Amino acid sequence: MVQYLLRRLLSSIPVLFGILIVTFIIARVIPGDPCRAILGEKATAEICERFVHEHGLDRPIHEQLFIYMGEILRGDFGESIRYSMPVTRLLIERLPTTVELSFAALLVSLIVGIPLGVISAVRHNSWIDVVTMVWANLGVSMPVFWLGLMLAYVFSLLLKDTPFWLPPSGRVSAGIPAAPFYDVWNLNVPESGLLLAFYQFVGRLNILNAILTSNWELLKDAIVHLILPALALGTIPMAIVARMARSAMLDVLGQDYIRTARAKGLRQRVVIMKHAFRNALLPLVTVIGLSLGGLLGGAVLTETIFGLSGVGRTLYEAITARDYGIVQAFTVVIAVFFVVLNLLVDLSYSYLDPRIRLE
Amino acid sequence: MKRNLFVLLSMLLIATVVLAACGGGAPATEEPAPTEEPATEAPAPTEAPATEAPATEPAADFEGRSLMAADCDSAGIIQGVEATGQYEVTFTLCQPDPAFLPKIAFSVYSIYPEEWLETTAGDEGRTSEGLERPVGTGPYVLSEWNRGESITFTANPNYWGDAPEAETLVFRWSTESAARLLELQSGTVDGIDNVGPTEFEVVSGDSNLSLNERPALNVFYLAMTNTFAPFDNQAVRQAIAKGIDRQRLVDTFYPPGSEVASHFTPCAIPNGCAGDPWYEFDVEAARAELAEAGYPDGFSTKIFYRDVVRSYLPQVSNVAQDIQAQLRENLNIEAEIVVMESGAFIEESSAGRLDGFYLLGWNADFPHPTNFLDYHFGAANPQFGDQSPTYSDVLAEAAQIADPAEAEPLYVEANNAIREYVPMIPIAHGGSATAYRADVTNQQASPLGNESFAIMDPGGRDVFVWMQGAEPISLFCADETDGESLRACEQVTEALYTYEINGTAVVPALAEVCEPNETLDVWVCTLRQNVTFHDGTTFDANDVVATFTMGLDASSPLHKGNTNVFEYYDYLWGLINKPAQ
Amino acid sequence: MINTEKKVKALDAEALSLNSVSLWQITWRRLFRRRSAVVGIVILGILVLIALTADLIAPYDYDDVLIGKEPVKARQAPCIHMLGCPQDQPQHIAGIDGNVRDEFSRLIYGSRLSLMVGFSTVSFAIVIGAVLGALAGYSGGWVDNSIMRFMDVLLAFPSLLLAIAIVTVLGPGLINALLAIGIVSIPAYARVVRASVLSVREMEFVSATRALGGDTMQVLFRRILPNALTPLIVQGTLGIASAILDAAALSFLGLGAQPPLPEWGSMLGAERNQVFTAPHLVFLPGFMIALTVLSFNLLGDGLRDALDPRLAHIS
Repeated sequence: MVQYLLRRLLSSIPVLFGILIVTFIIARVIPGDPCRAILGEKATAEICERFVHEHGLDRPIHEQLFIYMGEILRGDFGESIRYSMPVTRLLIERLPTTVELSFAALLVSLIVGIPLGVISAVRHNSWIDVVTMVWANLGVSMPVFWLGLMLAYVFSLLLKDTPFWLPPSGRVSAGIPAAPFYDVWNLNVPESGLLLAFYQFVGRLNILNAILTSNWELLKDAIVHLILPALALGTIPMAIVARMARSAMLDVLGQDYIRTARAKGLRQRVVIMKHAFRNALLPLVTVIGLSLGGLLGGAVLTETIFGLSGVGRTLYEAITARDYGIVQAFTVVIAVFFVVLNLLVDLSYSYLDPRIRLE
Repeated sequence: MKRNLFVLLSMLLIATVVLAACGGGAPATEEPAPTEEPATEAPAPTEAPATEAPATEPAADFEGRSLMAADCDSAGIIQGVEATGQYEVTFTLCQPDPAFLPKIAFSVYSIYPEEWLETTAGDEGRTSEGLERPVGTGPYVLSEWNRGESITFTANPNYWGDAPEAETLVFRWSTESAARLLELQSGTVDGIDNVGPTEFEVVSGDSNLSLNERPALNVFYLAMTNTFAPFDNQAVRQAIAKGIDRQRLVDTFYPPGSEVASHFTPCAIPNGCAGDPWYEFDVEAARAELAEAGYPDGFSTKIFYRDVVRSYLPQVSNVAQDIQAQLRENLNIEAEIVVMESGAFIEESSAGRLDGFYLLGWNADFPHPTNFLDYHFGAANPQFGDQSPTYSDVLAEAAQIADPAEAEPLYVEANNAIREYVPMIPIAHGGSATAYRADVTNQQASPLGNESFAIMDPGGRDVFVWMQGAEPISLFCADETDGESLRACEQVTEALYTYEINGTAVVPALAEVCEPNETLDVWVCTLRQNVTFHDGTTFDANDVVATFTMGLDASSPLHKGNTNVFEYYDYLWGLINKPAQ
Repeated sequence: MINTEKKVKALDAEALSLNSVSLWQITWRRLFRRRSAVVGIVILGILVLIALTADLIAPYDYDDVLIGKEPVKARQAPCIHMLGCPQDQPQHIAGIDGNVRDEFSRLIYGSRLSLMVGFSTVSFAIVIGAVLGALAGYSGGWVDNSIMRFMDVLLAFPSLLLAIAIVTVLGPGLINALLAIGIVSIPAYARVVRASVLSVREMEFVSATRALGGDTMQVLFRRILPNALTPLIVQGTLGIASAILDAAALSFLGLGAQPPLPEWGSMLGAERNQVFTAPHLVFLPGFMIALTVLSFNLLGDGLRDALDPRLAHIS
């Protein structure tokens, strides 16, 4: 187990290096310099020259790559050109939005997807099964941006002046107090460092922070704002999870040991929950791991439509503004997240199925 | 299981340490030198002469600051700014500037307290305190900037003018006009910027909302670079000018309040409409002229644009497609549409390297014809290819004259020459609008985009929520350029002059008056007394000098901002002591 | 972990290929027994038909501006005579778009683009992916290692983000968007092919060919690649669905097809701010995308099940 982990970690080092180099190259071969994207269209050629020099963008590429690699290895993500602040700070600001959104979407997909899949497998070929599968097939086929716009159209405009109205954009309404938990609890907040970053990160997870500080007004408001984006982003994984849960359950239910369990006279519920579902979890975990990755891509579109400034949208804007600092740091973070995610999925195999040994 | 986990954790820890050690050790040897030094160290040697220049006649107990360039070679328009009294500032110019007051009223030149400027000047740029928590004299005090979400301001209890109507002001933003309108309709915000071009009717049809049209201080033009064939032929350019139905473009793609451009400069600007109006749309004449110029069957070319919405071009791609269709129908010109990334587009077009049509426009910085005409049609601007002296010389001459009536004949001549030469085709002055809930008083739609929220009462509510198109980049607006940042800063900081509410005329703000000498190259400003900054310090002449030193003097340690480029200081005044490069 | 999944499929494919003559008949029969697959085939068939006969069906050209020709306004709602739209108004069953063109005609012509996008990106990705995968699987050693590590790097980015980055580098446009999506989907096919090559490489008929002095390249193309065909077909069909979605997303962001091309994603993206004032211009293109993607998904699922002998007892 330990050996396997070590090997996996070692083998991901070249991949991580590749990621670093690829992001650097992509960032630098993007045509156009960041000057006019950041200073606006009225910047003169001379002003741009000064700007490029100020930011060290006129140095030889290999030199810039060297500096960049050195900084990354020391845990320094560099600065955003546009915002003149450390990218780490931007990450702390933007990541909570995306984390909250992705978790909400994942929650939607699991809470709805798994029961639907299991039920339609147990009631194979019933009307529930048919409806679920039609719905699941539609779900994976809908463009996220379209679904988001349509949801906003229905819930924000058509259902205006009804209790079902939902806000079309933002994370919280203006004027709702959202004191971070460390202020409410009078914690000693350090001036800088990892602990501060962690505090700020948690403080910006609105829902968690609202629970920590018993701020029910904020909790309600944050949840209300989260529903539409989470539905839009969660529909595709929901459909995938439902389909996978169904086919995995069908697979398992056809096995001999289930027949044995039933023959022993165990109740249907016990058979399904204890014997079948646990074994069907394995392929499900793979799919959930994969769709978590896909969520990040979808987050770019969802965040654009619902006016959320999360990681996806910030990264997209940084690409168009040629803000190399953000592009490099954010993609590296996302890619590392992917690598870790894959590792976790593999590890969960051996937990779920003791027969699988990771060697 | 548990033990495994423990082992795993410690392995991870070790791996991290090893990685950090390897990474930190190796590059550290050759690295620190190149990253940090050049930017900060270079200007140092030139520092002394600039700040030590003699101060004239300081008041008895007041030691006035002064900024003075050694000569006009190392300065732009402003040579020096001196505190000639505790409440008197003298601007010495290198050339007469008839637009001094409209320029000085621009919120980029807002005054900051001297001490604050010094403490927030970091090593490489302004500190985050300086970028995010501006201190000014304005009606609102910044209370919190929740990044990505909103900015909250509270009323300044010691404001020198009338106390703000709403105790709290909140800025929010959304890039989608549909989302902004929906928030307004839901009552979650009190006012929105830039109503979408197709949504004007929705707003005016809703009795809970009211629409405020913003005068169009901009121009959208279709440019042709005349160094490329066939645009090098004046007859071709004239034919195209007559062959495009500009009325159809404005009717179909522009919101109410927009107008077909009769001249490059909007008529709202003094002398803007001097000279003959633009050519009438006339397909037959256009075809005949194009045939006569040697292109009876048209030709093929390209239309370049960037997909960026501006008030002069609210529906970019629709307009581009209709121009494409018109060129084909009216003149048999086949134009391929090429969409470019914004930065690259500006770079290529302003250097005159686009070999086809391109779609661009201009928003006024200050209400003066020089801001439109001299920038675009000066002899040195290559964006349309070769400029003609028939107008560029005339414009240079007109720029020296302060009295609009005296300058008028020159602007008539220049505008007629532009119409003759057709470096581009002015198409529209695009209208835009703000919308508010109907119970908001003193609603504004400022032509220059600087709405003052202090005088608006949101129907008796305590909080005024405003929603605009984007989040400010920083709140240190001396070094920002975008309207979304500037509008937020304007609630907190003030300049010597300001623009009247909903208009373009200048009115005194922190200055009681600024007066020129006869030759327009020395301006003396008498300052308002008993004004305090949000940090409690008292406003006086040294704050003004320190602010301009920060903005203008590239060698000053105060010259630190967000980008450190101070674009508007450079572009409208010219920096002092620029590093040679 | 994707690997294991693919490997299982590859093994199935190999098991099936032993009597490949009857395989296709079996597959077809199984496919047509599945209701969802039939629905997919029917929808796809209709779409292909529409694309082929677009010139005949569409009442207008896709870039025909109606200003001055008909009394219509930009973004006018659909007017269908059968549903009570006054007879004196010109009929536009999908309304008018932002440039005063007939939206219905643009939707019709758009089917060509979407199908073209789907097929061309996936064929591109399959060809490159198959070559890389076969090379990696057949050579082994450092070649295998470096190719597959590079594929890992590509897979470590969310595909849409990587595609956005590539298009930004190449410049926006339909062809570049296709290229970007093609590049992003290469790793999936490379892995499939590598897995099947690995599983077949050591089999007796391959070693026999080699022992008989057969050309290695020939072995690769004659014997090994055909074995990878089944998983490739399944993966490819599902891949077309996601390629169309990704291309639409790129166009939505303004990076894909450029005006006046009637690409559904860009039609939707251009009018997204009109969702509350002219919802038909947002709803209809999105609906067409969903329909097309749905048909490929249904067909792909059907193919996978039909080609998988283990699922025989379920269907």
